[in-house]
Amino acid sequence: MAYSAKVIEHAENPRNVGTLDKNDPHVGTGLVGAPACGDVMRLQIKVTDGGVIEDAKFKTFGCGSAIASSSLATEWLKGKTIDEANEIRNVDIVQELNLPPVKIHCSVLAEDAIKSAIADYRHKQESLQAVSKTASRG
Amino acid sequence: MNPFAVLGIPPSYELELKAVEEKVRQLSRALHPDKFISAGASERRVALGKAVEVNEAWRIVRNPIQRAEALFALGGVAVGETREPAPGQAFLFEVMELREELADAKSNRDAQTLKRLASDVSRRLESTESALAAGFRAAHDDSSRLASIVPTLGQMRFWRRFLDEVSAIEDEMTN
Repeated sequence: MAYSAKVIEHAENPRNVGTLDKNDPHVGTGLVGAPACGDVMRLQIKVTDGGVIEDAKFKTFGCGSAIASSSLATEWLKGKTIDEANEIRNVDIVQELNLPPVKIHCSVLAEDAIKSAIADYRHKQESLQAVSKTASRG
Repeated sequence: MNPFAVLGIPPSYELELKAVEEKVRQLSRALHPDKFISAGASERRVALGKAVEVNEAWRIVRNPIQRAEALFALGGVAVGETREPAPGQAFLFEVMELREELADAKSNRDAQTLKRLASDVSRRLESTESALAAGFRAAHDDSSRLASIVPTLGQMRFWRRFLDEVSAIEDEMTN
């Protein structure tokens, strides 16, 4: 199957490959997988106290389209607020990378990874707040 | 296509593959073009079409993942693409860790680690396949029980994919 030029470019020169400290309260980690093909994707965001994503990293073991989708996602995430990031849709990725129908699930995986990274970050922040409330009360 | 019907065997996950292969051989012999030399053109075409179907059915039935997919399809359970439930976090964590170890072994050309990972994941694949077989046995044709074992098929694909990657790395290292 022929990949689009943009997919090849991202797959050959993936941006932001790496790992952030998953125990850092400012880091949200999303770990997702596609059971239909066996691809796994980890996407992480680092968020400032002001709610802006200052860094994003990913690691994907999968096909070129899955790598390109997550690479593109990390590029888009940097500099966005959490709420803006939540607005990223898989169709945006499909459009940007010209993904063929059989590879749309790769973009779905990337959207899921973004969503679960954000959910993880929010969950951490909420439990931190809960802890500090209990601490100030006691 | 129902590959089990094409081969004339009852649909089941647990098959005696040797016996099925013998059946495939018999069918292929009976459909061989040599047997149709004096037959009419349309009869020859039908036989050829059936022979192609038998090959395709055998390709599906002997592959543990494709055999499962065929059984799910027969049971009316949709699988593939985005129709399957998301794997659990603990499972994904394991897969990710093993994939990272594999990537390190690849870049260090560490044949020993590669071998260890391959046998570790082969064992995981085997036990997942046994779990799937047990699931099919218990589910019979109950579609809701069938649906509950779809994640096990997903796990098999992750391990299969891992082992394919191991083979690709081994090829690269020996060449």
